[in-house]
Amino acid sequence: MTMVLPQVDLPGGVPPPAERRAVGAKVKFALRYFIQLLRTHPAYAAGYIIIAVVTVVAVMAPLIAPFSPITADPSVYLQPPSLSHLFGTDATGMDVFSRVIFAPRIDLAIAMMGTLISAVIGTSIGAWVGYFQETRGLRSFLSNVVMRAADVLQAFPVFVFAIALVAVFGQSISSVVFAIAFVNIPIYLRLMRSQVLGIRRMRYVEAAYVCGMSDLFIIRRHIIPNAMAPVLAQLSVNIGWSVLLTAGLSFVGAGVRAPAPEWGSMIAMGFPNVMTGQWWPSVFPGLALALTVYGFALIGASIEFMADPRRRRTLANVRVPFAAVGE
Amino acid sequence: MGIARYVGGRLLFLVPQIIGIILVGFLLIKAVPGDPATLMLGPMATPESIAKLRGELGLDKPIPVQFFIYIDKLVHGDFGTSWQTTQPVLEDLKIRFPATLELVTYGLLTALLIGIPLGIVSAMRQRGFLGRLGDFYGLVAGALPDFWLALILIYVFYSLLSWVPSPIGRIDVMLVPPATITGFYTIDSLLEGDWTAFWSSVQHLILPVLTLGLINAGPILKMTQSTMERMLQADFCQYERLCGLPEELVMRHALRNSFPSVITIVSVLYGFLIGGAVLVEIVFSWGGAGQYAVQGVLNSDFNPVLGFVIFSALFSLVVYLIVDLIYLAIDPRIRH
Repeated sequence: MTMVLPQVDLPGGVPPPAERRAVGAKVKFALRYFIQLLRTHPAYAAGYIIIAVVTVVAVMAPLIAPFSPITADPSVYLQPPSLSHLFGTDATGMDVFSRVIFAPRIDLAIAMMGTLISAVIGTSIGAWVGYFQETRGLRSFLSNVVMRAADVLQAFPVFVFAIALVAVFGQSISSVVFAIAFVNIPIYLRLMRSQVLGIRRMRYVEAAYVCGMSDLFIIRRHIIPNAMAPVLAQLSVNIGWSVLLTAGLSFVGAGVRAPAPEWGSMIAMGFPNVMTGQWWPSVFPGLALALTVYGFALIGASIEFMADPRRRRTLANVRVPFAAVGE
Repeated sequence: MGIARYVGGRLLFLVPQIIGIILVGFLLIKAVPGDPATLMLGPMATPESIAKLRGELGLDKPIPVQFFIYIDKLVHGDFGTSWQTTQPVLEDLKIRFPATLELVTYGLLTALLIGIPLGIVSAMRQRGFLGRLGDFYGLVAGALPDFWLALILIYVFYSLLSWVPSPIGRIDVMLVPPATITGFYTIDSLLEGDWTAFWSSVQHLILPVLTLGLINAGPILKMTQSTMERMLQADFCQYERLCGLPEELVMRHALRNSFPSVITIVSVLYGFLIGGAVLVEIVFSWGGAGQYAVQGVLNSDFNPVLGFVIFSALFSLVVYLIVDLIYLAIDPRIRH
């Protein structure tokens, strides 16, 4: 389809002063609205606090930890929690507290890297597939092939699939990251595709098309920004879920190897002790793990709340400035 | 007639999907470093005997040929042999798959018993204590690592209280497992009238089933809650209220209309748990199919892995098919 269209001025570069003021007002409004959300829903605030604390503790771990996380002291094995060993010691005499606070360095890094990679790849492919699936020709055919491939990948049992991937690439941290990224891609692909299928029919997309914008420009400028909210909510929940998967892989011995401080392998190492009554080597890392995942789930729930206009309206105290509503 | 045609169409659609699954699984496993022949014969084997075994296993042929040989064997019901158990994979799976299925089925039933009532109640009292409890439970259940919860339950109910026998296996080691009829120990022992075996298998089921139930009640609760809330806001419920129908009746109609989405989440969970219960299986040394596959990957024993993947994919697909038939039965809009 070739049409000669008048050149349209594209917004770009430095926004004019009026627009910049509007942007400032929008940011201010969003911030006020966010604070209101946290005030009315303390659980969401708790989620942000949990993740902030876990992150800070992980970063500061070398300063906080009273003992080395990987040095065993056989003279103090399986000590119950006490003042010198807050969470006790494990069967080899390593300090459980020090290991628990060092662990998020590995667990969070793996989970965040894996999830980000899968989100970037998954949403890009998903946007492409959603944009072209209902057209005709080669690109539509390719889109359908991609969707069937996603069906096949999702029919695999996730955990066995992830272990097999780690086995293929050799047991290392980067293999775990890759395995997590790979099993998560179909989730983002589907999510983005369903969003894009809806947005594609919007008038403003048609208008942009009629104005002669390229497909790539429309996807970048109109489709992706409008489809991002559910992806962000999913991202947060998914990081938590990936922490669980990392821990699970390490629990069966297919992820991070001991003595590297990692929650899943710590739980596995403490397993025989739990049977005989020494609960602390397994319980504390599990608590930290559950709390972290819970924090990410809460953040995800809060993003979902913010992205839903109907529930947004329930925050009645926030006066919506007219300048911020339009667009 | 219409239904038979529908099912036939669906089954036809499954064939390419199954082949895709086998292909991906096969390629994945071929990509794993480690030569099965070397592993089977041990480090002392001579190069000649390794080459001979490779020839017998078909490992010296190109990958596409190996794939077609594998498919050809599959069609004849030959899933290969596991070198760890030295048994045909099909025989192993015949014992292990029902073990997983028994665990997962009871686990899901428990999850339904917890999730649906809590979901309904929290949808009725959105702002009250129970509503908040429902929200909280939904998020917490999703955050708990199942293998850790299993350990906690073992600690409390075995180490501290000694209410359950030692959490190893499906039945007391001193007892003879019942003859395989359905593969479910609880049902088989009842069919045989063996009460000790029945009681022992129930005792061994309690903790793993409770673990799976508590965790998977989360998504069921969330789904029940959100659908019920939507239904209670729907026009038909508002209208019934306006007409002065008793609240109980309105609730019952809302519940009836929430069933399809609850059934959907149950079917998704059912398919997922066949492989997803593997960590719980490992904690309780359950000897299920997931555990079998994980051990296979970790020891370069690949026939069990592929066998498991095919079994669980088939199972999920059958569950989805059954669910679609249930939709037909309960939703008159689809039938037309």
